[in-house]
Amino acid sequence: MIKTEDHSPAAAMPLPKLVLREVTKAYNTRHGIVEALLPTNLEVKKNEFLVIVGPSGCGKTTLLNLIAGFDHPTSGEVLMDGHPIKGPGFDRLVMFQEAALFPWLKVIDNVMYGLKWKKGLNRAERRDVAMCFLEMVHLGRFADASIHELSGGMKQRVALARALAPNPRVLLMDEPFAALDALTREGLYLQFQEIIAATKKTVIFVTHNVREAACLGDRVAVMSACPGRIKRELMIDLPRPRQFNRTEVSVPAAEIGRELHADLPDEEGGRGVAEEF
Amino acid sequence: MRICRTRKEDAVWQRNFRTLVFYLVLLALWQIFFEMRFFPEYILPSPGMVFRRLRELGGDGILWPSVKATLLRMAIGFGLSALIGLGVGVAMGMLPVANQYLRSVFLGMQTLPSAAWVPISLLIFGLSDRGIYFVIIMSSMAAVAIATADGIANIPPLYLRAAKTLGTPRWAMGYQVILPAALPSVMTGFKLGWTLGWHGAVSAELIKSSIGLGFLLHMGRELNDMSQVLGLMLVTIFFGVLMDRFLFGVMENRIRRRWGLDHE
Ligand SMILES: Nc1ncnc2c1ncn2[C@@H]1O[C@H](COP(=O)(O)OP(=O)(O)OP(=O)(O)O)[C@@H](O)[C@H]1O
Ligand SMILES: [Mg+2]
Repeated sequence: MIKTEDHSPAAAMPLPKLVLREVTKAYNTRHGIVEALLPTNLEVKKNEFLVIVGPSGCGKTTLLNLIAGFDHPTSGEVLMDGHPIKGPGFDRLVMFQEAALFPWLKVIDNVMYGLKWKKGLNRAERRDVAMCFLEMVHLGRFADASIHELSGGMKQRVALARALAPNPRVLLMDEPFAALDALTREGLYLQFQEIIAATKKTVIFVTHNVREAACLGDRVAVMSACPGRIKRELMIDLPRPRQFNRTEVSVPAAEIGRELHADLPDEEGGRGVAEEF
Repeated sequence: MRICRTRKEDAVWQRNFRTLVFYLVLLALWQIFFEMRFFPEYILPSPGMVFRRLRELGGDGILWPSVKATLLRMAIGFGLSALIGLGVGVAMGMLPVANQYLRSVFLGMQTLPSAAWVPISLLIFGLSDRGIYFVIIMSSMAAVAIATADGIANIPPLYLRAAKTLGTPRWAMGYQVILPAALPSVMTGFKLGWTLGWHGAVSAELIKSSIGLGFLLHMGRELNDMSQVLGLMLVTIFFGVLMDRFLFGVMENRIRRRWGLDHE
């Protein structure tokens, strides 16, 4: 893939982990064709944490589904390590917008589920790993509970544990913290950053929360709606781990907020947003 | 041991109590009707006479072995039927072609009353018990298969996606995800299938057996004994309801609640 005679600095750069080239997605519906995604170009480097923010319905989940391989682009191509993505695979683990836990399994068995298909772990070891992640999300006590006994936020935390336990190289997350209260969330941000740094993952993370984007992302892609496209990318150059409430996070957060609000017609460039953060 | 009762449990208890009262009133009306002698005794015996006849049958050691025989036949016949129905249903759920053709066949079969399978079973199996299993299977298998196929077709795609992204290999999808996810519907199929199979078992016993609830019912007619006929009908209803409501019904409810399909 890399031309050997190319001596430009770009050639020394590692191959991007994920590449979207002129990717579009249109859905056929009863009311005609819905353009969910305009031609989109995106590169995600290995071990990069990319956050995608954008208004509801702008195509964030659509984009994630294309990378996950659940859906195919209408045109363009999605490459991982230089190869087109043909379908879902366990090299890209998705954490869905809904918890999507299996109700026929106990909480602990849900978390252990992804480990079952990894070689070299016996049941006791799988249980230990799962228990460790379950305790990280403060649900150790609920290991033997059934899914229908959990609240919405608890379900989402179990889903987080289930997604992290198999230690995937690429993690695709669709608003994983949306159903959590502020206190639980802020604790989790630190642990989450720690795990990502320790296990070297490439993460694509969708959120509505600009502060969350600024706190977690190496880079933030801001999307606009109808039809969806990436309108701007911002680099966030802050040392890690980042505290959610520290003032230095506010600056990029406000910037992302302005960029989001610039879209809305009767808003004056989102001046009001800066004060929110 | 549970001491605290919620208001809801109280309501359930009250409802059950009212149902009980309703049946007692029904019995009383029956008794009054009997006392008024609108009909001769051989057409309308009293509740007491029916009960006495059942006690006699029980004392003669006929009733209980008959109940056992019918339940055993159901255990074997319906067990086979559930296995076959599940297998066929899974095939229908996975292969659209199989679904299209088999569904029409099964829907046709379901319009046939259970008793209509008895003559053909007599021709094939004679008077052996295998013929009764055959009738049970033919009456109930279609319901299980259709419910299983529907259950698989209606699995929330999210479960399948979650399973795939968590690395489930193709060969494990069936028993790890597809069957458990379809289980609520499969249970509904089992419940309906059991009832249809029960119809089939008793119908078959009426004609081709020397033991069982159906046989005793048939004997009652031969002996012109209305008490025995009514008593046996009540016993048949009792065990049918027992299994339908309390075994399959409770299992179905529990599964539906756990799968998040019923919201209080
Ligand atoms: N399966 C589908 N069929 C038809 N249209 C769809 C389908 N999925 C998504 N869309 C449309 O595509 C657009 C983008 O949807 P998408 O789910 O990607 O939004 P989103 O950015 O994830 O929104 P949210 O933040 O609310 O989750 C929407 O306009 C939606 O109506
Ligand atoms: Mg979405």
